Amino acid sequence: MTIKKITAVVLLLSATSAMATDSPINGTVQPKCSVYTETQGVFGNPLPNKLDTLPASGGTKASIRYDIAQANFYLARITHPNSFSSSPTLNDSVAWTGSSVVGQVSVAAMSAYEAAKVISPSNVTTFNMTLAGSTWFTVSSTALYGYNKALPAGSYTAIIKADCIAK
Amino acid sequence: MRLYLIFVLCLFGLKSNAHEMTPTYPVLDSSYINGVVVAKMKLFNRRDDVEYYQVEVFTEDWKPVKFATTTRLLKVGYNKNKLFNVYIRFVDVKRTKYICTTSKIFKGGNQETLVSSMICSKIK
Repeated sequence: MTIKKITAVVLLLSATSAMATDSPINGTVQPKCSVYTETQGVFGNPLPNKLDTLPASGGTKASIRYDIAQANFYLARITHPNSFSSSPTLNDSVAWTGSSVVGQVSVAAMSAYEAAKVISPSNVTTFNMTLAGSTWFTVSSTALYGYNKALPAGSYTAIIKADCIAK
Repeated sequence: MRLYLIFVLCLFGLKSNAHEMTPTYPVLDSSYINGVVVAKMKLFNRRDDVEYYQVEVFTEDWKPVKFATTTRLLKVGYNKNKLFNVYIRFVDVKRTKYICTTSKIFKGGNQETLVSSMICSKIK
């Protein structure tokens, strides 16, 4: 009888101690910029003296995505290459051209970034990220070697700089 | 169409190559060293092709500012956070504008254009 009473008391005590407790998941939303390298560009070699990221030339354009968590906090600055970071020894000059343009957008109004972009100097394009969301930028690059000279055989690498700068 | 969008989003989810740094506007607090202030920063590496990030501090016109940190070349694993402190002399605070991290990419590759990302926080 005593054991039964003690067991009942213990069970009651254990029942009262099993209280629900809150287990919060905390998070903070703050202005933030994320730079995603969606596609690394690839140079095609359509002519002996030309390297080009255009698909028509057998290349692939680079695609960079900027995710902006809150509107109007950042500038996106994209620099397309004007030199090779690694290449075989080149004895003549290389003429570089390229562009950075707005591709896909998560908010339709972001299309206006293209008209408002600032190009200065010639290989640096700055976009004012006035809206929150994702914007894909397509970067193309072309390198022309010498005057109708064939590029030496080997691997060529050029670097695109994708900067996100707080305003 | 909806399924296609989900599929595309899943693909993006699988291949996420992002570089993030917070806060956007760091606060300079007094440090344990007299005459030196500290900014507490956080870097998140979601670029599987990048392991190292360089820390730099600049003025408004992108001139380098002297600073100290545990290591200027941070090793951050894929999908990892790294907290780091940037120490700036009090005399340099007025001209200090940007704290930046730049991804360091390995030389090499084969007829590629590589993407180097830089994120800059601004001291207001």
